[in-house]
Amino acid sequence: MSSEDQHATFTTPTVDPQGASEEAAPASTRSQSHPARRAADRRIGDRRVNRPLPASVLTPPTPTPAPRLDDYQTIIGQGQIDTLRFLAKDLKGKTIKMVNSTAIGGGVAEMLNRLVPLLSELEVPTHWDVITGGNDFFEITKAFHNALHGTAYDLTEAAKDIFLMYNEQNRERLKFDEEMVVIHDPQPAALIRSKGKTSAHWVWRCHIDLSNPNSGVWEFLRPFVEQYDAAIFSSQSFARQLPIPQYLFYPCIDPLSEKNKELPDSLVQQICDDFGIDRSRPIVTQVSRFDRLKDPVGVVQAYKLTKKYVDCQLVLAGGGATDDPEGAIVLQEVKEAAGSDPDIIILDLPPWCAVQINAIQRASTIIVQKSLKEGFGLTVTEALWKGKPTIASSVGGIPNQIIHKLTGVLVHSVEGCAFQIRYLLTHPEFARSIGVSGHEHVKENFLMTTNVKRWLLLFRILEQARALRRKAA
Amino acid sequence: MSETAKPVLRKPQKPFYFNTSEHLLRIGRQKANNLSELLQALETCPDDSIFQHTFRTLQEHHFIRQGFSNDFAHWTLFACNEPALAEQFASVDVREFTAIEGLRRRMVEILDEYLHNQNRPSSRLAYEPFYFCASDIVVLPTSFHPDTLGGFLDGLNQVSVHSIHHHFIEARLRLHRMSNDFSQWLEAEVGLAEAADAIERIDIYANTLEGVRRQIARIVSQAMN
Repeated sequence: MSSEDQHATFTTPTVDPQGASEEAAPASTRSQSHPARRAADRRIGDRRVNRPLPASVLTPPTPTPAPRLDDYQTIIGQGQIDTLRFLAKDLKGKTIKMVNSTAIGGGVAEMLNRLVPLLSELEVPTHWDVITGGNDFFEITKAFHNALHGTAYDLTEAAKDIFLMYNEQNRERLKFDEEMVVIHDPQPAALIRSKGKTSAHWVWRCHIDLSNPNSGVWEFLRPFVEQYDAAIFSSQSFARQLPIPQYLFYPCIDPLSEKNKELPDSLVQQICDDFGIDRSRPIVTQVSRFDRLKDPVGVVQAYKLTKKYVDCQLVLAGGGATDDPEGAIVLQEVKEAAGSDPDIIILDLPPWCAVQINAIQRASTIIVQKSLKEGFGLTVTEALWKGKPTIASSVGGIPNQIIHKLTGVLVHSVEGCAFQIRYLLTHPEFARSIGVSGHEHVKENFLMTTNVKRWLLLFRILEQARALRRKAA
Repeated sequence: MSETAKPVLRKPQKPFYFNTSEHLLRIGRQKANNLSELLQALETCPDDSIFQHTFRTLQEHHFIRQGFSNDFAHWTLFACNEPALAEQFASVDVREFTAIEGLRRRMVEILDEYLHNQNRPSSRLAYEPFYFCASDIVVLPTSFHPDTLGGFLDGLNQVSVHSIHHHFIEARLRLHRMSNDFSQWLEAEVGLAEAADAIERIDIYANTLEGVRRQIARIVSQAMN
């Protein structure tokens, strides 16, 4: 019997998602005869036995309408809502254009889906355009993306030509009549060539970590970037030395999204029951793709070290094993590392399982993000928002979110992670206090409404700077 | 407040205009990889960087009751493992300064003296660099501009904590004196000198900004009654 059959594993369905499928059923239903499995099922009151994944997991839910500004009042307070309205007042009627490379999928599109209606509601009409391109363009920009993260890449003249050709096509197609134009990421960066024809403020919003870029790609892009009026990065450490002002906009989460909204406890309980998670015992969770850079095997090792001292379950919830060949390999490695432990619950979920992830995070006692490399780490933001004591590696943008021992705990090794899990499990008052501070940290710095405020501030600051320049001239 | 010292409350001649300041974080050009570089950058960075890493960071971390005072203290502890230096940085109360230059000099003195007394090289690499940032500030009105003590209390309870920070902490740099906007108004317009003094003595490092708000409200309520 393989280890896959011995611990609780749920996988993304690969067959007809409308109907129940063997693939969709929990592995536990295929391995009921194993003694360890039976023992675990008994401990949790048979909640895992013979239970297919709920229909909500098999099909994407219907999208909910975007929230209105006043919907955030109970979260951020009337004072902050008033601040947004006052900030927008002087900008009333001025327009913004956002340009990125995809309308669906990915963090940027997700963020723009919420940001654009909120800015427009504040009477700063915001238009969102998506550039078009052939497969050859997107293959090159994907390579650029990886190269800017430091991957080796040989930039050819042909690649440059394709990149510039599609940017030119989009430049001809798009109009830039707005007062502020925001170009997201490198794909449309060369649209800046239209700047001379407009009176707009041009801003480059870089969502990528540029701390160690491939020099060929960066030196190709730099002349475009330097023509913007300002650049925005997600962390101080992601920025480059540039002759233009650089601002720090942290990525953000929407507290009213499916992933982050408050859930009734009955729903949290139901989802835990569906996945065989026992809420009467401590739950340690990592939410992330099955990707080596997220170090899921390291999390299993840390759990095993912890388990020598304190009882707990480990939930590894994520996706990527179905559509990514490397993800499938990593998932297999995780299963092998988990061995026959019935308290390790591995969930390979479809990408639309936001409510399920939300519920699992809310049910967790501790949340871990033991990444070896990270962008900003929005799963950490989500955990902090839910008031969960969070242990995370000190990489990427995570130290912006976790102030060691104040809003969470930073670790640098499997052993450190194990120690902190067991410390937090045995010191619930301290765990609770960092959870409370973590929630407040997100409320102050990493919510969608703070992001709206930053855009309004930037717009006003650029307008003021221009007015001063004109006055001086 | 004792019975004998009960103040005579005056009708304010001028309303109290609750404002708020909002900040946009700008990434600076300087960074420090070790204590020696930190000293050099502290001496030469723009005033608004000193403001950002001392005054402004208090607002960003207003919810932390203890253990956070300024970015220099935090970095020297967690990135440089220099707890003694961190304690000295942390002991600097921004409210003792009415101008950034004095605050900069104090930080430089602390680090200079510390490095002078150390046998270890000041070029030892920190775990992560210190990135100097700065703030672009926009001051905004709020809808609260009371001309009664009751109205003041109402506004105090409803404005954002950013407004509390603006009037209570940042005010020193505007007023260039050891006071704050609340105490100034309560003393000058309402005649509440004792309450003004009690508010001035609230410890911002042992309180969250919400805690500061509650303490101010309590002092004003007691004075009203």
